[in-house]
Amino acid sequence: MAGTLHRLPTVTPARRLAWRAGAIAAALAITTLFLALSGRDPRLLADLVVRSAVGSRFGLEDLALFLTPLLLTGAAVTVTGRIGVWNIGAEGQFYAGAIGATAVGLFLPGPAWLVLPLMAACGIACGMGWILLPALARAYAGVNEIITTLLLNFVAGLLTTYLAVGPWHDRVTGALASTGRLPVRIPEIWGVVHWGFPIALAIVLALAWLTTRTRWGYQITIGGANDQAARYAGIPVRARILGAMLLSGGLAALAGMFEVAGTVHRLQGGLANNFGYFGIVVAVLARGSCLNVLPAALLMAFILDAGIVLQTQQLTASAVLAITGLVLFMIAIADELAHYRPVTVRRATTGAEARP
Amino acid sequence: MIDLLTGMLSTAVLAGGVLALAALGEVLAERVGVTNLGVEGLMSLGAVVAIITVVATPDPWLGLLAATLAGVAGGMAFAFATVIVRANQVLCGLAVTFLGLGLSAAIGHDYAGVPSPATFGRVPIPGLSSLPVIGPAVFGQNLPVYLIYLVLPALAHWVMFHTRHGLAMRAVGENPAAADAAGLPVTALRFWYVTLGAGLAGAAGGYLTLTYVPVWSEGLVAGRGWIALALVIFAGYRPFGATLSGLLFGLVTALSFVGQARNWPIAPAFLNMLPYLGTIAFIIVPVIVWHRMRRIMAAPAALGVPYHRDVR
Repeated sequence: MAGTLHRLPTVTPARRLAWRAGAIAAALAITTLFLALSGRDPRLLADLVVRSAVGSRFGLEDLALFLTPLLLTGAAVTVTGRIGVWNIGAEGQFYAGAIGATAVGLFLPGPAWLVLPLMAACGIACGMGWILLPALARAYAGVNEIITTLLLNFVAGLLTTYLAVGPWHDRVTGALASTGRLPVRIPEIWGVVHWGFPIALAIVLALAWLTTRTRWGYQITIGGANDQAARYAGIPVRARILGAMLLSGGLAALAGMFEVAGTVHRLQGGLANNFGYFGIVVAVLARGSCLNVLPAALLMAFILDAGIVLQTQQLTASAVLAITGLVLFMIAIADELAHYRPVTVRRATTGAEARP
Repeated sequence: MIDLLTGMLSTAVLAGGVLALAALGEVLAERVGVTNLGVEGLMSLGAVVAIITVVATPDPWLGLLAATLAGVAGGMAFAFATVIVRANQVLCGLAVTFLGLGLSAAIGHDYAGVPSPATFGRVPIPGLSSLPVIGPAVFGQNLPVYLIYLVLPALAHWVMFHTRHGLAMRAVGENPAAADAAGLPVTALRFWYVTLGAGLAGAAGGYLTLTYVPVWSEGLVAGRGWIALALVIFAGYRPFGATLSGLLFGLVTALSFVGQARNWPIAPAFLNMLPYLGTIAFIIVPVIVWHRMRRIMAAPAALGVPYHRDVR
C-alpha cells in the first residue's frame, strides 16, 4: 500500500476550523442547489439575506435578539457537555423559566426593579426544578439523560400552551392564545435590544472563567475526561454531574425569562422557538469551550436571522431547521475527517534517516 | 363499558404499532452498536412521503413502501456518516432529526391538512375476531398490525438468536474488535443494519399517517421517535420486548383518549403528557427497583462507540 490514510489523535485548531469552514460551505452549496431546484433564484435570495440581515439596523437588532437566548442555551448545553452529559432538554427548561417568570410578572405587583429580579430568580428555580429529575437519575442511577431531558420538552411545551390558553389566558383582549401583557419589561438599550443581551454576554464570560479557572470547573473537566480517574482522585463526580446539570437548567431558564420579559412580553405556546435545540448546535460548534460560544452563537443567530428573510420569500420556517440540520451533519463529518491525513509510505531507511 | 374497553384496546394496538415498529428498527441498529437518535426525523420524513405518495396513487402499500424507502435513504446517509466516516453518533442523530423535521415540513407544506386518500382497511381474522373485547381490537385490525406485532418481531428474534448470522450481528455490537479478528465484516454489518433500522423508522412514520392519524400536519410525529428510543432501553434490546413495550405505551396513549372522551376532570393537556411522563418513569423506575435488571437488560457493550481497526 503506497498511499494510505493516517488517523491523527489530536487536531490543531486551524486544521479543524478549515474543515469546518469547508463543511459549512458544503451545506450552503446543497441548500443553494435545493433552492435552485425549487425554482428560486439563490443569488437573489443571498443578496436579500445579506442586505436585510446585516446591512440594516432592523436586521442587526434582530440579530442581537436572536443572539441573547442562543448565548444562554448554548452555554447551558456546553456546561453539561464538559462533564460528558448531553442536556437535550434546554427547550423544556427554557419554557419552565418562562412560566416561572410569567407567574411572578402576572401575579406579583410591584416596582420593576424588584419584580424583574424576582422573575429571574423564580424562572431559574423552575428551570432547575425541571432538570432535577433527569439530573438525579443520571448522577445516581446512570439513566440515559438524553432521552429523559428530551421527553420533558414535550411536557413543558404542553404545559405552556395549557397555561396560555387556559388559566392564565388574557381575558381582556381574549383574541390571542396567550397570557396578558406583562406589566413590567426589561428596559431597552438600543432599539428593541434589551439589557438581557449584555447580561447574557457577561454570563458567558463568567462561565468561561468558572469552567477553566476554578477548582469546580477543573473537577467538571476531569470528570468528563475520565470519570474513573476522577473518582480515584477523590472528585465527587456524581455531585458535579448534578451541579453542572442544575446550572445548565438555570441558564436555559434565564433565556426563557429574558425572552418573555424582554422580547415577547407575554407567555404563549411555541415561545421557545427551538432556541433550546439550536443551543445544542451552538454547543457543538463551541466544542466545550464557553468562550467559543460567542462566535458559535453569532453564526447560529445569523442563520436564524437569514431564516426570517427566507420566510418572506414563501419558504416555511422549517427550512431553517433543515438547513441547521444539514450544517450540523456536515460539521459532524468534517470533525472526524479532520483527523485523517494522507500519508505515502516511504522505505524504512529514509524514514530512519529523517528522524533527528 | 365493553365498547369502551374494545375501543381503548383498538386504539392502543394502533398507537402502539407505530412505536413498536420504530423501536424494532432501533433495536436492530443498537444491536450492531450504533445509536440512531434520528428516529424522530426519519419517522417525520416517512409520514409525509407516505401522504404524498397516496395522494398521487391511492394505494396504502405503495405509501408504506415509499415511506420505508425514505427511511432507508436517510438511514444510508446516517450510516455513511457514523459507520464509514465514524463521526459522532449523537451529533449525526440530532442532525438527522433536525433535517428530517425541517425537510418534511418544507416538502409537506402543500399537503398540510389534506386527509390521506388511502388507508389500510381492516382484515378481520375469521373466528378470532368475534371474540368479546379482544376480538375486534386485536384480530380485527389491518394487515400491517399483524406484520408489526407478529411477523417482523418473530423474524427478527429468530435471525438474532437462532442463526449464525444473528450471532455475528450481536458480536459486532458487543465487541467489534473480536468480531473483526474472527473475520466478520464489521463495517458492512453495521451499515446495513443501521440502514434497515432506519427503513423501519420511516415505515413507522408512514404507518402513522396511513392508519392512526391519516392526515399530515407539521409536528405530527410529536416525540414518538424519542419515545421509541426510550422503549428500546425498556425492551432490553429484544425484538419482542420492543413490540410489547410499544403496546404498553399504546395503552397509555389510549388512556388519555378515553379520559378526553369521557370528560374526566383533568385538562386534556395533562392527559397528553401521559405518554412522555410514562416513558420517563419506565426507564427510571426499573433501574432503581431491580438492580439485577441492569445486567439482564444491559445495552450492547460497544453501543455508541465507533470502531477504528487501527486503534484496536
